[in-house]
Amino acid sequence: MVSMDVSIWIAAFFTIAATSYAFRDNVVFKFAEYTFIGVAAAHQIVMGVKNIRDYGWTKIMEGQIIYVIVFVLGILLYARFHREYYWLYRFPIAFLVGNGVGISIRAAIHSDFIVQIMETARTPLIAGDAMGTINALITFVGAVTAIFHFIFTQEKLHQGTVGWIPKIGRWMMLLAFGASFGNTIMSRFGMYQGRIIFLLRDWLQVI
Amino acid sequence: MDYKRDIPLAITFLVGIIAIGDYYTGIEAVTQTFNVIKNWGIVLQGFALGLGAVNLLRVHGKRISERRGGTDWYFSAWLLLMLAVHIILGLVTGRYEQGETYSWLYNAIYLPLGSTMYSSLAFYMAYGAYKVLRARNFDAALLFITAVLVIIGNTPMFPAIYPGFFHMREWIFGPIVSGAYRGVRIGIGIGAVVLGIKTLIGMETGYLGRR
Amino acid sequence: MSIWEKLTELPREIVMTLVLLSIIVPALNPLGLPLMTGQMSQDWYDTVDALPADSVVLFDIGYGSGGYPSLGPGNIAAFHQMFNKDLKIVIMATALEGTLMYPLVMAGVNPESNYGAVYGEDYVFIGYVAGTQTAMAGVLGDLHDLVTNDYLGNPISGMSILDDVAGADDFDLVAYVTTSGDIAEGWVYQAYSQYNCDVIGGTLSMMTTSIKPYYDSGQLLGIMDGIKGAADLEFLTGHPGDAIVSSDILTFSQALVLIFIAVGNISFFMTRKGGGN
Repeated sequence: MVSMDVSIWIAAFFTIAATSYAFRDNVVFKFAEYTFIGVAAAHQIVMGVKNIRDYGWTKIMEGQIIYVIVFVLGILLYARFHREYYWLYRFPIAFLVGNGVGISIRAAIHSDFIVQIMETARTPLIAGDAMGTINALITFVGAVTAIFHFIFTQEKLHQGTVGWIPKIGRWMMLLAFGASFGNTIMSRFGMYQGRIIFLLRDWLQVI
Repeated sequence: MDYKRDIPLAITFLVGIIAIGDYYTGIEAVTQTFNVIKNWGIVLQGFALGLGAVNLLRVHGKRISERRGGTDWYFSAWLLLMLAVHIILGLVTGRYEQGETYSWLYNAIYLPLGSTMYSSLAFYMAYGAYKVLRARNFDAALLFITAVLVIIGNTPMFPAIYPGFFHMREWIFGPIVSGAYRGVRIGIGIGAVVLGIKTLIGMETGYLGRR
Repeated sequence: MSIWEKLTELPREIVMTLVLLSIIVPALNPLGLPLMTGQMSQDWYDTVDALPADSVVLFDIGYGSGGYPSLGPGNIAAFHQMFNKDLKIVIMATALEGTLMYPLVMAGVNPESNYGAVYGEDYVFIGYVAGTQTAMAGVLGDLHDLVTNDYLGNPISGMSILDDVAGADDFDLVAYVTTSGDIAEGWVYQAYSQYNCDVIGGTLSMMTTSIKPYYDSGQLLGIMDGIKGAADLEFLTGHPGDAIVSSDILTFSQALVLIFIAVGNISFFMTRKGGGN
């Protein structure tokens, strides 16, 4: 028995419309595409306004008048659309970029660099059993040679006998990228299956 | 001094240094200042969310006013209508939680479109695997081998027949992926830090836009 | 055109139709194949299982409509486990659509009727906070300074769950489920690196390889690895759902991809060999 819910019929229509592009570009897909862009942009505005109200306006209402500066900076962001005064948007953008960069690089040094090197250094290469030793060696060789692959400023590192090190690094990364590709296949199919389950269970109600 | 560029660069440096100083120093004044910067940043991000919509308004508004591209402007009009309807419904209904109507529209329109657009790449992945994934040379063969072994391990039928396929998949994700991606992660970390420092000291100015 | 050349040039419509059928047919006739649990999902489960009752978990819904089919079921299973263990859950969203994922996920968990949970005492949703890492730093730094009301507009000062929660030191575990690399890395940077919090993360399968170094180095204590991880969690928590159903369907679709790969490669090599002759 097919569903009688209007929202499910609309959702089914848009699911099929969005899928149709895989076969051929068509006007139904274009309609769905433009709908998606409009709705997505609207949702951003809605969440943006709620965010400004909850974390900015409430602070001003509590008496923190300094937040008026934030509101002025926020409005200046939209100066980028002005032909003459576009440069005003650089002030809030500078604040956002400085904040974002500062917040992320301070921890990246620790998480992406120090901890990873520590882990590589402290893992014993000789484990309790043969398989453990092989695994530890592969991990160590993979990590070290992959780093060597990214040293592009020293040309001599990629030549001669020493050139084998970054070459092995490239091979290790290709093996890893193959695994990533295999997982990506599963990921995309897993997502699309959810839509098929919706069509068959919630819309057509055949499962 | 070009105040239109130099002052923003100075702001970037100052704000970034305070953020980094909060992490590495225990100075209370720095932490307090950074708390303020954090909270300001959250509000500013809220303002930044509207930029995309304003740009859409400009682009599609122009298309409608010029009636360009045959019937394309009908789609632009529909886009702006959807934009307006959803903004009004989202802001007017439901003070805090999303209003019932807005949630209804989300579940009927945005959710199916978002999930399907994102996931329909599955078709292209399958087509790409058919057309492009070839063991043409040694390098391609390496990628090919692990891709096939992982796909076999991820397909429930094969481990059901022989559990070794699943263990092979787990092993590939063990030393091979761990080792190589650790190197990649260190490379990413170094690159991110270098780019960040260059941004803070004003060597990277792409975010400032045109001169 | 030889048979091999024809096999390398199958029309796109035929390939796409076969892909579609490989998903529809097993959905109509599931095989019920057994599941083998991965170590990363097992570690996620064990990390949550090791928490004593009344431990406080900060949970980030960092995905939207794109990730809902594969991460939504895993999120539901994760909440089932946490509510079953009487953990206190402070839920937030760093993704724009997180506030709309929340009611969908909660409809699948039904904490009030299934676990007797009380909103404000056992769980709270503080809503979407913009800024990704800035939001994380804000919540972990001083929650009450940043957040005044929960998502429903209720003042958080009156909620018992947040009475003793000021920041990172008061969270026993930080958990996130996301489709964004920024959010996945961000929680490691802000929660582990800054405050040495225990962190577990759920991401799409395609992102697992890039965050695996964090898991290997102990910065992440467990990973919910996309649809596979979601199915594992559903199995481990005893709440089978859409992820386990999807895993079954994967058999045919992935087997079809393997057939495509085999056909493509065999015909490529046979064509090249024929051309060489």
